[in-house]
Amino acid sequence: MRRHIPDSDDLDEEIRGHMALSVKERIERGEDPEAARLAALKEFGNITLTRDSMRGVWRHRWLDAVEALGRDIRVALRSLRRAKGLAATVVVTLALGIGANAATFSVVRAVLLRPLVNRDEDRLIYIRQSAPGIGDENTTFSVPELNDFKSRVTTISAFGDFSTVDFAMTGLGSEPRMVKAGVVGGSFFDVMGLRPVLGRLLDAHDDGPKAAGAVVLTFRFWTSSLNSDPSVIGKTIRLGSRTATVIGVLEPSVPYPARTEIIANVVTSPHHLGALMVTSRVHRMTEVFGRLAPGSSIDAARAELTRVHADMMREHPEAYSAKANVQLKIARLRDQIAAPARTILIVLLAAAAVVFVIACSNVANLILARSVRREGELAVRAALGAGPGALRRTLLAESLVLCGAGAVLGVALARPLVAMVSGYAARFSIRALDVTLDASVLWVGAGLAMAAAVLLAYVPRLPSPHAPAGLGLASGSVRITPGTNRRLRLFATTQIAFSFVLLAGAGMLVATLVALQTARTGYNMRQVLAVDIPAPVTGLGDPKAINFYQEATRRISALPGVKDVAVGSFVPWRDAGSLGPGFQFTVEGYKPADGEEDPRARMRMVAPRFFAVLGVPLLAGRDFTDDDRGGSEPVSIVSQSVAQRLFPNGDAVNRHLTWTDPVFSIFGKQVPSRIVGVVADVDDESVVPGPALTIYQSAWQVGVAGRLFVHAAGDPYTLVPPVTRVIREISADQPVERAATLEDVRATVLSPERVNAFVFSGFAGIALLIAVVGVAGVLAFSVSARTREFGIRLAVGSAPRHLLTRVLSEGVQIAAIGIAAGAAGGYALARVAAGFVEHVQLPGALPLMGAAAVLIGAAIVASLMPAARASRVDVLQALRSE
Amino acid sequence: MAKTPDDQRLELLQGTLDMLILRTLQWGSRHGHGIGQAIRSQSDDLLKVETGSLYPALHRLVKRGWLKAEWGVSEANQRAKYYTLTAAGKAQLLREQDRWSQLVNAIGRIMNPAPASKE
Repeated sequence: MRRHIPDSDDLDEEIRGHMALSVKERIERGEDPEAARLAALKEFGNITLTRDSMRGVWRHRWLDAVEALGRDIRVALRSLRRAKGLAATVVVTLALGIGANAATFSVVRAVLLRPLVNRDEDRLIYIRQSAPGIGDENTTFSVPELNDFKSRVTTISAFGDFSTVDFAMTGLGSEPRMVKAGVVGGSFFDVMGLRPVLGRLLDAHDDGPKAAGAVVLTFRFWTSSLNSDPSVIGKTIRLGSRTATVIGVLEPSVPYPARTEIIANVVTSPHHLGALMVTSRVHRMTEVFGRLAPGSSIDAARAELTRVHADMMREHPEAYSAKANVQLKIARLRDQIAAPARTILIVLLAAAAVVFVIACSNVANLILARSVRREGELAVRAALGAGPGALRRTLLAESLVLCGAGAVLGVALARPLVAMVSGYAARFSIRALDVTLDASVLWVGAGLAMAAAVLLAYVPRLPSPHAPAGLGLASGSVRITPGTNRRLRLFATTQIAFSFVLLAGAGMLVATLVALQTARTGYNMRQVLAVDIPAPVTGLGDPKAINFYQEATRRISALPGVKDVAVGSFVPWRDAGSLGPGFQFTVEGYKPADGEEDPRARMRMVAPRFFAVLGVPLLAGRDFTDDDRGGSEPVSIVSQSVAQRLFPNGDAVNRHLTWTDPVFSIFGKQVPSRIVGVVADVDDESVVPGPALTIYQSAWQVGVAGRLFVHAAGDPYTLVPPVTRVIREISADQPVERAATLEDVRATVLSPERVNAFVFSGFAGIALLIAVVGVAGVLAFSVSARTREFGIRLAVGSAPRHLLTRVLSEGVQIAAIGIAAGAAGGYALARVAAGFVEHVQLPGALPLMGAAAVLIGAAIVASLMPAARASRVDVLQALRSE
Repeated sequence: MAKTPDDQRLELLQGTLDMLILRTLQWGSRHGHGIGQAIRSQSDDLLKVETGSLYPALHRLVKRGWLKAEWGVSEANQRAKYYTLTAAGKAQLLREQDRWSQLVNAIGRIMNPAPASKE
């Protein structure tokens, strides 16, 4: 049965009814009507109160609490309006803490926790072959290896293959350009569980050498480069020497293993149909995905794949060198994609949490100081009968208002922060690219604000109902107790300690960056322009390509402003990793020790004058010349490391070397080449220069180039248009791309380090700022509470300078204890972290000293103002102040 | 009607008001004023229920489902709410009466102990 809940009118009418009866009764007893009315009113008592309690009967209990809190919040708003500076500081501090956390968390959630769009993504696995023995993290697979898996493995229902190829593409957009393309077999899209948004995807009919060329566009390419033009379906494009038809657009999905613009079938890539690709077990360029068969688990698949792989290695020992220590790794695709970003995101989350702790302890400080000033008010309220619950509720309301405002501002801050953090994380995991701000930011922000509010409400001490409150009640002045002072100092010390950890970490990253940036590379960094001019037709020793490069070299060297020009095969750092970990070779008279394999060296194809253009000194012998061409004696140039290691007697020139790597076996027996020169070591793979075994071959003999190096007299970038024009004159379809000086190439490669240093310096800067505010606040408060003490000291003859140094030393003392605590805590933290995360580094002495110096300096700056105030205390006023 | 001076009036025991209200409604419906008067007159003016307690109590009992309220016209010729016991209210009254007599007995035994029997 639903009862009718009386409204205000009902209640009023009931009370009026009661009055009428009461008055009538009195009149019947003979009272005067007016007197009767007054008496009835008097007898009734407080009408409003009665009506409220009647209404209260019908109200939910929690509504009462909410109403009380609402009242408290209104009071809090009023009282905070009188402390605008404090409120603003607290809100901004909290907003920084909450914003940093909310932003970091939403990136972490998007990258590490959200499922992929792929159908049944938890059954989708990624298989990787690696060779840790030779430093190759991803050797990928060859077609024979994949075929072995396909024929022997039962726990995987289907395999998908994907390899990356650069095509010169014409037909989409105006200019001929290089596109990064995925080349896939017919099962790829079905295994990946992806759908088209337009047209269709590649399937079994598109597989094999007899199919028609077909490409699928990735969503990103279609939307960003083609304006989502639906008429693109059915268009015919040229990819290198072949043509293909655009058949569909892929749904938005995580591009893994490579971010490509198009995905094509194998018939578009002549290389994929060649004997090398199809028959060589060591020609590895395919990434492999698999879908777990119904009923089989990833552990079962891992066991079976590992067994099959071990069998393969036993059957073909020549393809798996013992030194390379070839391994197989099987992971869910989702985990594989997230893995590289996991460490960095966890570190980021920790840094954000530290900022939050600093922010909270700073706010706690401010609130504590404020509550000491309000002790008088709280004592009055306690004396008037407010219980501890009510007093806490007042404090809670105030901190709720502050933290709520902080959360709102923090969430607003989170939006630009998310963009920043995800741009940063995208360097480690491709998933971070499509992070968007979602509701989780709000939840995190609100949760953190609530946590902070409750914590803050419990920071201040309540006036004890038993303690004599006379003084506080009477004077309303500030009396700072040793307990409060200790707590204030504790919070300030905490801030310094955490700031120290962040500052030292940031200092370490900056030191690493500086070391990397100032490292000597051995190249002419400023004046050399590197340009990609990939060969439209690839093929070893193709005379047409060699003619093209020779003609381009000749015409460009005639351009004004060009000092010298040469082609090569490899732009330092930018092309790092593209040629694998190097190839095995041997030299005449060299016998590897027992069980040792042949040494590995990087192979680079360079044209004459390459070393002169890049500023690499020739140490012995001669450079390549135009006569070192196809048909003449095979020659090579070696790096200093090769010469020293294999020819300890210093007689490298005129000896012979031979490539022995099994990769080359498809070309038949390798011909020895004569070493004609020795050049200085340069490390074009790693930004941290190390001794590199490199063997240079003559580009005119081997015929693979694709990179142009121009030594400019003036600004290298002014040469880009004329160089492009000259090349297009020779070959109209030739892409000319990514022109940059070596200095800029290296800067781009270093940008993750730069961003690391930037992000952590940002966090550390925020922390430092908050800590300075904290220390200054504590000292300012302690000085203002001790005005009387300073007055007495001055009166009995202390010099103002004395008081100044005294307060300054208090600030330095807080900083020193904080630094010691931070160093100890940070060390302990690093030891704990080392158990979970690889490569935990401890900062060197310089960053530690730097961080300590910055904090001590900041503490001195923070104490200057309060110290100056202490030394300027007016004696008479101070003594009279109470 | 002679009034009892305030200092001779008895304070209502905590929790007994609900029982008294239910009891006064045992023989039919009354309005709030009538309930107050009935408690007062039946206690020979010793118990006086403040309106500030009476009306919230009435509403509480309605909310619990022990009373039901209907608008009617009072002898003062004005609308007044008349309260009636529901079936649940009657059961509650019996329960409270039981509890009350147990309580009175128990307190009586403590306040006026029977002479200890020696065996």
